[in-house]
Amino acid sequence: MKAVGAKLPRYDGIAHITGRTAFVDDVKAPGMLQARALRSPHHHAAIRNLDTRRAEQLPGVRAIVTHRDVPHNIYGHLEALGVPADEPLLAEDVVRWRGQPVAAVAAEDVDTAMEALQLIDVEYEERPALFDIRLALEPDAPEIHEWGPVFPHFGPHNHRRVRKGDIEWAMDAADTIVSGVYRPQAIEHVPLETQAALVIPEPDGRLTVYSCTQAMYFSLGVVAAHLKLPLNRIKFIGGTVGGGFGGKVDTASETIAAVLALKAQRPVKWRWTREEEFLVSSTRAPWHIEIEDAVSSDGWILGRRMVTLHDSGAYARFSPYGLTKHAFHHTGAYTIPNLKFDGFVVFTNRVPTTAMRGFGVTSVSMAVETHITRVADVLGLDPWEIRLKNANRVGDTTGNLVAMQDPSTVPVTLATADAVGKELPAQFRAMTSERRSGDLLPAHLVAQQAPEGAHVLKRAGALDAAPGNGGGR
Amino acid sequence: MELMVNGTPRATASSPVTPLLTVLRDELSVTSVKPGCEQGGCGSCTVWVDGEPRRACLLPVGTLEGARVTTVEGLGTPRDLAALQAAFNDRYAAQCGYCTSGMLMAAQALIDRTGGGPVTREQVIEALSGHVCRCTGYVKILDAVIAAANGEYEGHHGVEFEGDASQPEVEPKGAPA
Repeated sequence: MKAVGAKLPRYDGIAHITGRTAFVDDVKAPGMLQARALRSPHHHAAIRNLDTRRAEQLPGVRAIVTHRDVPHNIYGHLEALGVPADEPLLAEDVVRWRGQPVAAVAAEDVDTAMEALQLIDVEYEERPALFDIRLALEPDAPEIHEWGPVFPHFGPHNHRRVRKGDIEWAMDAADTIVSGVYRPQAIEHVPLETQAALVIPEPDGRLTVYSCTQAMYFSLGVVAAHLKLPLNRIKFIGGTVGGGFGGKVDTASETIAAVLALKAQRPVKWRWTREEEFLVSSTRAPWHIEIEDAVSSDGWILGRRMVTLHDSGAYARFSPYGLTKHAFHHTGAYTIPNLKFDGFVVFTNRVPTTAMRGFGVTSVSMAVETHITRVADVLGLDPWEIRLKNANRVGDTTGNLVAMQDPSTVPVTLATADAVGKELPAQFRAMTSERRSGDLLPAHLVAQQAPEGAHVLKRAGALDAAPGNGGGR
Repeated sequence: MELMVNGTPRATASSPVTPLLTVLRDELSVTSVKPGCEQGGCGSCTVWVDGEPRRACLLPVGTLEGARVTTVEGLGTPRDLAALQAAFNDRYAAQCGYCTSGMLMAAQALIDRTGGGPVTREQVIEALSGHVCRCTGYVKILDAVIAAANGEYEGHHGVEFEGDASQPEVEPKGAPA
């Protein structure tokens, strides 16, 4: 355990400070071509015609690819987790966001590639677009996705649900109901290194892929699936990422560069411009979060009713996963015995959204922590004391019925109080994460507690026998 | 035409309107100079032209006949770091590394302007204000520049490499005692 607590040199530190680190765009290959993408100028349109013949005649153009060149064009990033596919690598008969790639060109240099883009003829028929998730479920909202306004594949439901205890009891029993709406907005990751890939078709038929991905084996799988190649025909070289923050799990540049390289039989480099990074790379999702807390006048949160809309953009990509994490965290670091959560992944004509630094969790944490302070303001209580009272303790159960083994809310809250010089009454200062008892175990929290040593409570487990706590989700 | 790049005369055949950034990276293989935005906004392509920090993406090479161009390769090498580089390394001022070359060039120019330091925090903030870093939050970068300018690090004295510094020795896992 020499590494724990020790100050260790970074394995790549000397390379970084001497300019020796080779990022993807620093690598060249003999005969390397440059790529550029033709992107939709419309937020939502049907493609009536797509003709690359004029561009193919331009000297210096070595390959032009459309959806017809992709062996498996529509592939879902989370198919392995049961999320069906909806997003084409290159658009087929419809474009659903401005910037969606329609075709790509590999040419001897960037200028030629850009000139070729202007010679690709596309006939669009514009359709109404939707940008506001709050309007997606209106009866007159434009139809923008084949699956309807929301991602419909959460088991038997078209949304992610959490059900625990008896929310109606909590709303009836509450002294006050505190409501809040929270709307964290889209954020672009802005890595200093834009998306970049270099794909080399090897003479033996394999592909070498220099990638800026944050997720080497995941991206390898994505490329292999689109190309219908076995994994052992593709070699990924990466791990040197010029900033990612979640924005480089999407495998944004590798696959199209690979399709181009296979068609041209030449190495293809594709580095996105800063404009592309800002305008068409995925962002953190905008969210719309409504919380209603049933609270007692002495600061207990008896129940929470919550509705979340998650802006997925034009395709599902990772959003169902992000929303699920959001759902698991919707009580924050606090124990609330009665819950009704409904979360929707909503389609819009915005760029598809993705992971960013705590995917799905930062949004809900912002909302929940702000809301707890709001509850304190409404009740006229100290927000620190409300947090410490309701904080997770050993044996408390989460919304999805995981029993807390070693929750850290109390020590972290106390350490934070120390750090900012917050003085607390002695009984709060003395709090620990120990299993609830005495004043910290009011009647409404008894039934949610897990038996000693339990990890996960099944639907038919101990909670079912407890009054006011149905369990399950 | 010819440039003096890190003390070595280098000929370029690029057209005069080609940005210095492209000439350095694509023609001369000086890849420490990074294309972050290619619009003069991020600072990651900062080099010295005749000793002054400049944005290589905005400089047409045709205006630089005979100019002295210095990149981070000209500051120090892995076995002979400049004090500023040693400070960046020791204080973890480089995270992903993409903005680092530009940061180093701007910061060293500040230290040189002040006659080798020391510098105030405000001076460093001013000197690095056009440089974007998305990883560090800047604090470690500012601390490293100030420490180097205060003479806390020695430069160009060679760096000891004892095996692979990236691999801390970890005791083998034996049977439980």
